[in-house]
Amino acid sequence: MSGTRTLAVARRILAGLRRDHRALGLVLVAPIVITLLLAWVIRGSEVASINVGLYAPNGQADQVHVGFLRAAAAEVPGGVDVTIEAATANDLDELRTWVGEGRVDVGVGLPGVQFGGAPTVTVITAGTDPATESGALAALQALVSRALGAATGVGPNTNIPTFRHETVFLSADADSLDILAPVFLGYFAYFFVFILTGISFLRERVGGTLERLLATPVTRAEIVVGYGIGFSVLATVQVILLTAFVLGRIAVPEIGPIGEWGIGLGVASAGSPLIVLALVLLLAIGAVNLGIFLSTFARSEFQIIQFIPIVIIPQGLLAGIFWPIDRLPEILAAIARVLPLTYAVDGLRGVILRGEDLAASTIQLDLAVLTAVAAVFVVLASVTIKREVA
Amino acid sequence: MDGVAPTPGTSPVVVATGLVKSFGPIRAVDGIDLALAAGRIYGLLGPNGSGKTTLIRLLIGLTRASGGEARILGTPMPSRTALGRIGYMPQSESIYPELSVGENLAFFATLQGAQSADALDRVLDLVELAERRNTPATHLSGGMRRRLSLACTLVHEPPVLFLDEPTVGVDPALRVQFWAHFRRLAAAGTTILVASHVMDEADRCDELLFVRSGKVIAQGTGASLRAQAGTTDLESAFLRFSGLDDEGRPIDGAKGPT
Ligand SMILES: Nc1ncnc2c1ncn2[C@@H]1O[C@H](COP(=O)(O)OP(=O)(O)OP(=O)(O)O)[C@@H](O)[C@H]1O
Ligand SMILES: [Mg+2]
Repeated sequence: MSGTRTLAVARRILAGLRRDHRALGLVLVAPIVITLLLAWVIRGSEVASINVGLYAPNGQADQVHVGFLRAAAAEVPGGVDVTIEAATANDLDELRTWVGEGRVDVGVGLPGVQFGGAPTVTVITAGTDPATESGALAALQALVSRALGAATGVGPNTNIPTFRHETVFLSADADSLDILAPVFLGYFAYFFVFILTGISFLRERVGGTLERLLATPVTRAEIVVGYGIGFSVLATVQVILLTAFVLGRIAVPEIGPIGEWGIGLGVASAGSPLIVLALVLLLAIGAVNLGIFLSTFARSEFQIIQFIPIVIIPQGLLAGIFWPIDRLPEILAAIARVLPLTYAVDGLRGVILRGEDLAASTIQLDLAVLTAVAAVFVVLASVTIKREVA
Repeated sequence: MDGVAPTPGTSPVVVATGLVKSFGPIRAVDGIDLALAAGRIYGLLGPNGSGKTTLIRLLIGLTRASGGEARILGTPMPSRTALGRIGYMPQSESIYPELSVGENLAFFATLQGAQSADALDRVLDLVELAERRNTPATHLSGGMRRRLSLACTLVHEPPVLFLDEPTVGVDPALRVQFWAHFRRLAAAGTTILVASHVMDEADRCDELLFVRSGKVIAQGTGASLRAQAGTTDLESAFLRFSGLDDEGRPIDGAKGPT
């Protein structure tokens, strides 16, 4: 293998990318923008206020009930702002109408005076937005149990236990962004490197440059390694930028009318950025060669795009990004265990969230599997680069 | 490289024995024997689909032969050593559109083991693209891209050249210059095989190979082929060897190929 020729292949990839501003933007800027958007959505749409409609039997929900609820609401942790509106009707129908019209987020029907048996609190939601509603319900549950305790004479500060949440990793108020962002480092590298290599190599095949390459003394190892180096450089730049954005936070102090703001998400990281880079690069090398391999089966750029739902999306769903593998149905869990992305996800979370290092057996396994997968894809890719192509 | 012009009578540079290539039922190359000598320009002439491109790809080893063997400079193809000593200009453009003229050229030069800035300058001058060195290939005209493709083929000054329709889309003035250059290369000992279906270019070759349906139906100098066919131009000669009259209609009892 000649280093000169290998580097020539790598350089030509980078020279092509340098001129292709759109592709560069796609790889370097899009992941940051998407992550930022996600951060905004997740952190900006936490349930911040609930509007509760209240009904109590035997006439109007009186000031006593409302008073207790307000008092309890003030104690609910998490800064949820609860407003309470008392229903005047004599049944739950008015509440249902309110919820249906969106006048209140949740309707709460308090139990009547009852002898024996547990009292039932009726909770009415619109049912159209399960995620938000379950958030609201959780906040409400705490609220109602306290209020009930207070209303029935068991004071909020007496027998009803309060919960204090403590976590081993991260902090108790970590949100889903803290869990997702580290994984995105790997997922974006995998996705974009696959797409770009697939398309570049397809162009080599269709545009005749591969034909010309193969009429030179270049070996397929030189081509595959050259491609690997070229795209790894790109993946490295991407990972460094995105890691800095996800983990770092530069606060910009208040200047005049512009309030204080910051760049970066400031996700807490416990582990070594070098292992993060190693994990992502191994994944990217696999993706490069997968792209080369699959480009054999495509006749146009559009057909490369058609691989996305096959190669990219299922991995995104199964690799543990959104749902832990252990909780997947058995068949899906088995599939997930053979997906390279699964190991990258596990490794990235291990390093970033749990601060694991090379001594951790899980990280060793992740690195080993990713190396093995990359090796398999390298072989597959090489097989498709033939002098004797039909 | 091998600058010394081999004396006539030395062993042929490119040899094919019984080359066959089938694509399913189609026999694109149907038993071709060749021996190309150093320092000569060979014209490969035939209609669309007659197997010219396939023959060249077989000779270089870009496609696996269904039968027979190709040797270049004595080595069976594909051989990486031999590939370092050939230049191949594919029929399609085969350059990187996003790279500049200079980058394309430097890339292929490096792969071929030629890196002297001198070689790049010379070949850029030849194809008259020196001023376009930094232009991305996409911004070139069609003919300029063909010229760049030729430059990428010639940059390492190989002793054996395979040119698949090198002058398509190239303007007449430059076409004349190209042929003058090919002639100079041949005089210096380069073996050149040029595929074409432009018959007026054929007369610039030392020897012609008429191919039809994957077979060589006639071979010789332009003059001898015209004489054999009893025609005044090569076009008619080709038709005659194919058993057709000047309008392309089959002739009864046609002159068979020799
Ligand atoms: N990869 C392939 N798969 C199937 N058939 C092929 C393939 N390549 C060439 N052929 C067939 O082989 C025959 C010869 O093709 P070839 O490209 O060699 O012709 P040609 O003489 O170069 O034609 P042209 O003057 O149009 O360039 C044609 O019938 C073509 O359809
Ligand atoms: Mg052809």
